[in-house]
Amino acid sequence: MTFLIASQLLNGLATGMLYALVGVGLTLVLGMLNIPNFAHGGLYAFGAYFTYTVVNLTGSFYIAVLIGPLLVILVAFLIESQGVRRLYAAHHDYQLLFLFAMALILQEAIILIWGPVGFSVLTPKALAGVVDLGFTVYPAYRLALIGITVLITVALWLFLTRTNVGAIVRAGMENREMVAVLGTDINRVFMWTFALGAYLAGLAGALATPIMGLTPSMGADMLPISFVIVVIAGLGSILGAIASGILIGIAQSMTTIWWPEASNIAIYVLMGLTIILRPQGLFGTR
Amino acid sequence: MQKLFSLPSLIVIALLIVGLPFVQRPVVAAEVLTLGIAAVATNLLLGYTGMLSFGQALFFGVGAYCAGVLATKYGISAFLAIPVAMLFSAVIAFLIGLVCVRRSGLYFIMITFAFNQMVFFIAYSWTTMTGGEDGLPGVRRPPLIDDQWSFYIFTVLVFICALCVMKLFVNSPTGRILQAIRDNPGRAAATGHDVGRYKLIAFVMAGMFTGLAGAIFAFVFGIVPIDKVDWRFSGDIVFMTLLGGSGSFIGPVIGAAFYTWLQETVSHYWDRWPMILGIVFALVVLFFRTGVAGMAEVLTGKLTQKGAGAKPKEMEAGS
Repeated sequence: MTFLIASQLLNGLATGMLYALVGVGLTLVLGMLNIPNFAHGGLYAFGAYFTYTVVNLTGSFYIAVLIGPLLVILVAFLIESQGVRRLYAAHHDYQLLFLFAMALILQEAIILIWGPVGFSVLTPKALAGVVDLGFTVYPAYRLALIGITVLITVALWLFLTRTNVGAIVRAGMENREMVAVLGTDINRVFMWTFALGAYLAGLAGALATPIMGLTPSMGADMLPISFVIVVIAGLGSILGAIASGILIGIAQSMTTIWWPEASNIAIYVLMGLTIILRPQGLFGTR
Repeated sequence: MQKLFSLPSLIVIALLIVGLPFVQRPVVAAEVLTLGIAAVATNLLLGYTGMLSFGQALFFGVGAYCAGVLATKYGISAFLAIPVAMLFSAVIAFLIGLVCVRRSGLYFIMITFAFNQMVFFIAYSWTTMTGGEDGLPGVRRPPLIDDQWSFYIFTVLVFICALCVMKLFVNSPTGRILQAIRDNPGRAAATGHDVGRYKLIAFVMAGMFTGLAGAIFAFVFGIVPIDKVDWRFSGDIVFMTLLGGSGSFIGPVIGAAFYTWLQETVSHYWDRWPMILGIVFALVVLFFRTGVAGMAEVLTGKLTQKGAGAKPKEMEAGS
């Protein structure tokens, strides 16, 4: 039992770190646009599928993880420049509807390009084995995944809190008019923030391929989870998104031990409880 | 009727009811009216209270599954199963609303969306009850309304009743307070109205009538498909409402008619019809934002009186 709980904890941490990346990406875009990005799940799925294609072309998983998410940025630029930006002056509902339309299009595009059947990506050879941790034996790739996502998260945190560009992004999330008045080209900031959010979703999708595989519905499945992360975290809190991503990952994997059927539902119960006990979210202030 | 609806609205409703079964099969016409009820119900929240619910498929699904299960597993007639399903949806809407109305705006959108997915998972995993991924087939209509014309007439009657009740609701003092909350929640609260309670009332009304629509839908094609409780269908309902025009009471019905027509036409030719749907959604949002009713209003020179109805969204544009 200890063995099971320990490995499930690590599993939860691994998926939780992926959730954290997706959640931070959504938080950034949410703060900028003031609407939930419905295309976020689709961008996550595109990250995975681009990675799959690059793996097939180059034979290297590492190159694919580097390039795949970058290609997602191109998709994000297209969505931002052709739709989202044109709708800044319109009511929020229309931006939301546009992004919902993008979610439909992205998912159908995956089926058109890659077909309706799912794929799997092989774990790179160097990380294919297991590691003896003393208390449990654990797949090397998942350990590496935890390590790399922690590094990315720390780097992102430093970027947002310690650099000038990061400060502008955070300021834009708080009050875009003020940032514009201070002489910053807010459209450019928005474009890059949207791209960064998409990149994080794509990166999570890329890193998830060896453990979760690829299906056309992977984006549609991830989207509600990313919403739950942000609601539990509290809107606009980056640190909160990281924490609640991990929390949800672990809650899900722990439920799997005792009641596998409920593992998908557990996170929504957690969300409901959070709203009742602490409506502003665990880390939210408003 | 004359006092309840304006003349143009009455003409549109009458034209739809009479004309639909001639341009489409009667079951498809019934589907339009069913989705029309759901869209008008959703607009009680969106257009009249200013709450964008992205979880209406939840209630549509709950109503459909409840009626479907009662009919298939317990052999209960549609005439009893539909009202029971409607009440059941209201209860679920009350419970979920208790949580949802605590937050507004962005949060509200995301929370309704997330609960939608929760109910989807329940429907997906509870295969013995719902049939899971395959849907719940074999929902039989009672003999009296078994053939498609009598079923269509039945749907028309329910449609008219539902619209009248919802219209009476938005015209009632409660409905006026909801519109006050939409226009200025702070002032509504300051004048002594319990905003949370009124939002909950609107949420339950919307959930109940969306559930009613779902319950009828179960009998339209005799099956409850799982995709009717999927979050994408919630988006479709929001689209119908906005496309038809959240600024008018019956506008969403036109949105529902357009959506059904689009789906019927495109899905015959191409399996990937949600792609077309997505493209049309995007084009409409980018180029035809005021909605069908908004355009009709401009064309007919503002026949409908201002102030009494819902506020056209485009008027709030700015920043």
